[in-house]
Amino acid sequence: MQGTSIIPYLLSLVLAPLALGVINRVKAVFAGRKGQPLLQAYFDIFKLLRKGAVYSRTTTWIFRAGPVVSLGAVLLSLTMIPWGGFPALLAFDGDILVFVYVLGVARFFTVIAALDTGSAFEGMGASREVLFSAIAEPALLLGLVTLARLTSGWSLSTVLPGVSTATWIMAGASLSLLCLAWMIVFLAENSRIPVDDPNTHLELTMIHEVMVLDHSGPDFACILYGSSLKLWTLGALLANVLVPVRTGSAFIDILATIGGVFALAAVTGVIESTRARLRLLRVPHLIAAAGALSVLSLVLLVR
Amino acid sequence: MNTLGNLLWLLIAMPLLGCLATLFLRSSRAVLHIVSWGVPIISVLSLGTIFSVFDRAPVFTSGEWLLLDALSAFHLLGLYIIFSISSVYAGVYFSHEPKEQELTLPLARRFGALWFATMATMALVLLSNNLGIMWVGVETTTLVTAFLICLHTSAVSLEATWKYLVVCSVGVAFAFMGILLIGAAVESPGGVGAHVLQWSEVVVAAPNINPQLAKLAFIFLLVGYGTKVGLAPLHSWLPDAHSQAPAPVSAMFSGFLLNMALYCIMRYIPIVEQAPGCAGWAHGLLVVLGMVSIGVAAVFIISQHDLKRLLAYHSVEHLGIIALGLGLGRLGVIAALFHTLNHSICKALGFFSAGRLGQIYGTHDMRRISGALSTHPTWGVGMFGSILALIGVAPFAIFMSEFLIIKAAVETKSYWVLALFLAGAATVFIGALKHAVDMSWGTPSQSVRPQKASVAERALVFLPMGALLVLGLWMPPAFWNFLEAAADVLKVPSP
Amino acid sequence: METFTDNILAVLLFTDLLLVGMSRLSGCISLVAVQGVLVGLLPLFSPEHVNPRSIVFFVVVCALKGVVFPVVLSRAMRSVNARREVEPFVGFGWSILIGVGILAFSFYQAKQLPIPSALVAGTMVMPAALATILIGIFLIVSRRTAVTQVLGYLVLENGISTFGLATVSGIPLLIELGLLLDVFVAVFVMAIMIYQINREFDHIDADRLSTLKG
Repeated sequence: MQGTSIIPYLLSLVLAPLALGVINRVKAVFAGRKGQPLLQAYFDIFKLLRKGAVYSRTTTWIFRAGPVVSLGAVLLSLTMIPWGGFPALLAFDGDILVFVYVLGVARFFTVIAALDTGSAFEGMGASREVLFSAIAEPALLLGLVTLARLTSGWSLSTVLPGVSTATWIMAGASLSLLCLAWMIVFLAENSRIPVDDPNTHLELTMIHEVMVLDHSGPDFACILYGSSLKLWTLGALLANVLVPVRTGSAFIDILATIGGVFALAAVTGVIESTRARLRLLRVPHLIAAAGALSVLSLVLLVR
Repeated sequence: MNTLGNLLWLLIAMPLLGCLATLFLRSSRAVLHIVSWGVPIISVLSLGTIFSVFDRAPVFTSGEWLLLDALSAFHLLGLYIIFSISSVYAGVYFSHEPKEQELTLPLARRFGALWFATMATMALVLLSNNLGIMWVGVETTTLVTAFLICLHTSAVSLEATWKYLVVCSVGVAFAFMGILLIGAAVESPGGVGAHVLQWSEVVVAAPNINPQLAKLAFIFLLVGYGTKVGLAPLHSWLPDAHSQAPAPVSAMFSGFLLNMALYCIMRYIPIVEQAPGCAGWAHGLLVVLGMVSIGVAAVFIISQHDLKRLLAYHSVEHLGIIALGLGLGRLGVIAALFHTLNHSICKALGFFSAGRLGQIYGTHDMRRISGALSTHPTWGVGMFGSILALIGVAPFAIFMSEFLIIKAAVETKSYWVLALFLAGAATVFIGALKHAVDMSWGTPSQSVRPQKASVAERALVFLPMGALLVLGLWMPPAFWNFLEAAADVLKVPSP
Repeated sequence: METFTDNILAVLLFTDLLLVGMSRLSGCISLVAVQGVLVGLLPLFSPEHVNPRSIVFFVVVCALKGVVFPVVLSRAMRSVNARREVEPFVGFGWSILIGVGILAFSFYQAKQLPIPSALVAGTMVMPAALATILIGIFLIVSRRTAVTQVLGYLVLENGISTFGLATVSGIPLLIELGLLLDVFVAVFVMAIMIYQINREFDHIDADRLSTLKG
């Protein structure tokens, strides 16, 4: 266990909520507002941790377990992400599949916790979440397979570091399609515009937010932290491909990837400020298009 | 010999001149006159040119762009016969149009210009030695003739035109893919260089081309040009276009447009058949497609109520028979070519009659047409005679050519094909004969007044019918030699 | 040069997929224009490199497919006051799935075809051409308005030109220009037809042109 593996992991745990702050700040700048402090997410989490939780009488232990298990799953998935071309904390052949399914477990527990409340709104959000992620998952997975094929490895720790400027020159078309597909997956999985509006207050149109309406106090803190970590994890995945800085110096490379994540957050902010949310009926088309792009990128590589 | 060959450009130039001339005329009557007099004159001149050139066949001109051999000469003969009689008929037909559909000057100009332009592009298709130019010509005929279908703008005619445009454009685009594949097949072994699409060179290089590509190419070509030929199941545009176009246009479509597309397919038969290991392959495909067309047409002919659609399905059937013949050895090819000419003449006559009877009865619905023989004896005879000839009654020439095809089928021992062909022909015979009898006899409805026929009308009915009878009873030896020479272009070995 | 060709073809495939999933008619028109220009670029990167023929071709293609067609089609669309949506028979989700299926099929099928590798610049030509042709056909049969049928025809034609430009080197410029001229006239004629159909019917839905049957 080297410093190059554990330090970026700890850094991620600390910096993850900051990415949310960056997104919000970019949106505020676009709207001409001063906006909330960059550290607002941290404040929210600490505030929630200090509060007590309220539980509905209809809920069971599943409702309480949901947020904690989800957070744990996301933490686990983050351990598999390599930083700046150096191996991750957890690396073994085939972990690209495990990575996707650990994220799936996180989603599963959020969803069943939502269903456990027995509320119509939560159920609606859960059904949408499951539908969209069912379409988004193949796109993510096929993208990973493309990379695996490109770098001939089956572990994130060999696949992602394998992407360098040389690979970009060799398979530029394929990689750009892949990035486009993953960008859509990134937005969809993190419930950002144009798939979902994190700031909405209209239950009929919400997806992620509506699922967690009934959680409060420390549970909600777990959820908030968990979703910021998920954003960070998927962002790191994409940043590893998009910013293939491989100088060999741990400090610079890891910093480049982290910078990449923040840049992605900024881009997300720009997208959120300039685009409108899609009609719900259109969302599956967008995510299916991501799947199509992944297929195309794989096909271009395999042919 | 090239100096003489240069005369062939006249065949394309003369109709184009006619096309220009129509645009400067001041009355619709004048336009119709120039069409009905000009086209036959051009035809006679062209045929004269062809046969004076043809003695020294084959002739190439201007960098080998144009080619005249027996096959193209034979088709040109058909082209000029059909265009001449259809043009004369156009004069008759449009002068009998009901008041609200009378040809205004712009419409007449449109008709005249497009008519001449069609003639020019068809001549180009038949004469071009370059497969690419041939394709360009075919696509141009689609575009030029589109507005002939909707000469009288109405909802249904626009619908027919749109279908025709889209289906044929897409189909013919496939044929271009086939041409490219032929090019690739020729280039692959060693390369013929810049003349990769010259038919005369490709056909010489054929024994050395890549057989798999050639096969693939022929499928594309068959689907592409086959759409324009109207071979089932690619015929969806055909009945609509034929039934909605004015009768002279339908006659020209059925009498020559379809044959022209089939001619394009014919040009590729020797190429594909000579490719290594492909012998009999293109023939087999043609036979299958021909059989399907005959079967599909038979079904639709029985259940048809519209006279012009009935004739249109007859076209599907007869083009199927021709395709069938092309696949049945040398005798089959000769029979198919003979059938081409017979069918064109007969079908033109059929559409002439249908057009005029439609004007007289005000409808093409066969259930409302009765007693045609007493209402208008000339056109009644034309209609009855042409349907009899179409279904293969002896002694009309179509009977003879179908008989030859049967003989070819026996010669090549394709008994299954023979059986299916006879079954299809019998079905058509019964179905169409019933329609024809119902329309010819019976009492005409009160509102229809008997009409007198003019000399031109009589000539239009009895000349083609006479020709069909003569060809059915007596085959001039010179004509038979001509057919044999044309069939030999396809390089089909006798069994 | 092969990588350039391959990249152009990759973008072509990308536009194919976009077209299948695009719902705005004007967007489709511009995408088809982009496709046309991409196809025009191909001869510039052919094995013989830049020569007068390919430059002439490129200029003509850009002018026609990049400028004239989109203008003609958008005018047709606007003047007939067509609804600005594509209105497919097949939903967009299915369309995308079918598009991906076509893609996979083309890549599979292209491997089976015996095109000699010496003829083809890069391994992408055959699959890209095949996929574009099939997508064009799919657009023609699965879309409702007449304008989209014209677009499908153009996509089909783009696929065929892709194949032609990348494989058969012996086609004279004259024929290529003749082909272009024909396509140009075809688009023009179809646009006129769209005006007329609209005047007669008050709609340009090709699926409602179904009086003639049997």
